[in-house]
Amino acid sequence: MILDPLQQLGRKGLAFFGRLGRAHLFLMQTLTGVPGLLLRPGLVIRQLYSVGVLTLLIILVSGLFVGMVLGLQGYNTLVDFGAEESLGVVVALSLVRELGPVVSALLFAGRAGSALTAEIGLMKATEQLSGMEMMAVDPMRRIVAPRFVAGFLSMPLLAAIFSIVGVYGGYFVGVGLLGIDDGAFWSQMQAKVDLSDDVYNGVIKSFVFGFVAVWIAVFEGYDTVPTSEGVSRATTRTVVHTALAVLGLDFVLTALMFGD
Amino acid sequence: MENTMRETDRNGQEAVVQVRGLCFARGERMIFDGVDLDIERGKVSAIMGPSGTGKTTLLKLIGGQLRPEAGTIVVDGENVHELATRELYSLRQRMGMMFQSGALLTDLDVYANVAFPIREHTDLPESLVRHLVLMKLQAVGLRGAAGLMPSELSGGMARRVAMARAIALDPMIVLYDEPFTGQDPISMGILVKLIRELNDALGLTSIVVSHDVQETAAIADYAYLLSDGKVVDQGTPETLWKSASDWSQQFLNGEPDGPVAFHYPAGRFRDDLMQGGRAR
Repeated sequence: MILDPLQQLGRKGLAFFGRLGRAHLFLMQTLTGVPGLLLRPGLVIRQLYSVGVLTLLIILVSGLFVGMVLGLQGYNTLVDFGAEESLGVVVALSLVRELGPVVSALLFAGRAGSALTAEIGLMKATEQLSGMEMMAVDPMRRIVAPRFVAGFLSMPLLAAIFSIVGVYGGYFVGVGLLGIDDGAFWSQMQAKVDLSDDVYNGVIKSFVFGFVAVWIAVFEGYDTVPTSEGVSRATTRTVVHTALAVLGLDFVLTALMFGD
Repeated sequence: MENTMRETDRNGQEAVVQVRGLCFARGERMIFDGVDLDIERGKVSAIMGPSGTGKTTLLKLIGGQLRPEAGTIVVDGENVHELATRELYSLRQRMGMMFQSGALLTDLDVYANVAFPIREHTDLPESLVRHLVLMKLQAVGLRGAAGLMPSELSGGMARRVAMARAIALDPMIVLYDEPFTGQDPISMGILVKLIRELNDALGLTSIVVSHDVQETAAIADYAYLLSDGKVVDQGTPETLWKSASDWSQQFLNGEPDGPVAFHYPAGRFRDDLMQGGRAR
């Protein structure tokens, strides 16, 4: 009796590490398919549209609202100290260092990651991937690698757009609605936001998050149990695992980049 | 080449596919346990058996998508499971497969689906690709459906498109996985006719996996009956109909009871009833 929970734990541990191993082998196979895409850029461009461009709307809207909320909350806090002129710095640093890469990665997982998992999972369930293999076309190179590259390239661009729109959202609330001085908003931001410390680190974060998010998405799709329930579970796992991975990695990266 | 070998089949004819001592298991369950069979070049060979006997698995083994526990599968002189990935993909270019579901790429229309293998494996100019695709679609009677999406096709049409795609690269062998399942009589008649005619007109070798006895027997030159992981009977359809095997007679005539029992193995019925409704 006492062995049962131990056995279950062991079984789950083996399954977890087995899956982790498969995910890494899968990544290696995907990366070997990437150089071939230089000869067929059209495959990546098509995926840039479906992974990147179609995610743009949710990024724009979310970025705007997040920036507006930051403006409002920042103003309410800063005004108590008479430091409301620093609102631009607060909004910009929050977005560039943290919220831009993190929130856009979470949105990316919800919109593009889940779509990638469902698409690849359904292709597996309907034997399209098997069909390609039998046509001597490697699905890793033809299907997975272009999506992986497109997701990896899209993420930093989406995060940058998120941050820019967010800054304008904060500007609209702070300057437009709450009456902060226009020049102070921009000049303080310009003086305090450092290109290498803040912007570059934010870009590095968004590349890392993009890599992890799209890796999870394509792997979950490819490794799905080929049934409707399996695809549904894989899609859910993509969103949950990406969110956990992004938030966990964000702490690690922040500690490495900004911890003294 | 080290992997290359030429073999002859039971009649001294060249066997384009030769399976020897094939063993394959899924978990604890043995799907194939020492299967031997030969597929003669230029013929339509049928592999029949009840659902769940591993007919589709056999096609995947022949195509190198699955690896057997033991035994060899030699296709056109090459031992499939000893080939490197590049060689296996090269062999697959000489094979076409029609999946039960059609397995059409759902984001491409009929034309692009048939053009897909041609575009992937050749550098032919688009005008020539167009000619080839229209020829293949004309052969299956669906030239007029070139612009339709897979979601707009009936089940029978989808399989005909899959058939056109399977022959797009003029393969040596075409594998058909349950081509007749769930088809109305007209679609079934069309598919039966197409498999036979394409085989003869294009000089193919066809392997048809099916449990639709009448249709398969009507076009097959030779048939294997599989059950419980073994070849239980084989021969031309005419000889199989006259087979002395009780199993073959039950399968071919669709009898509900016989060597394959109607009842799933169970204890005594009386004992179950006397257990007073205890849930199992």
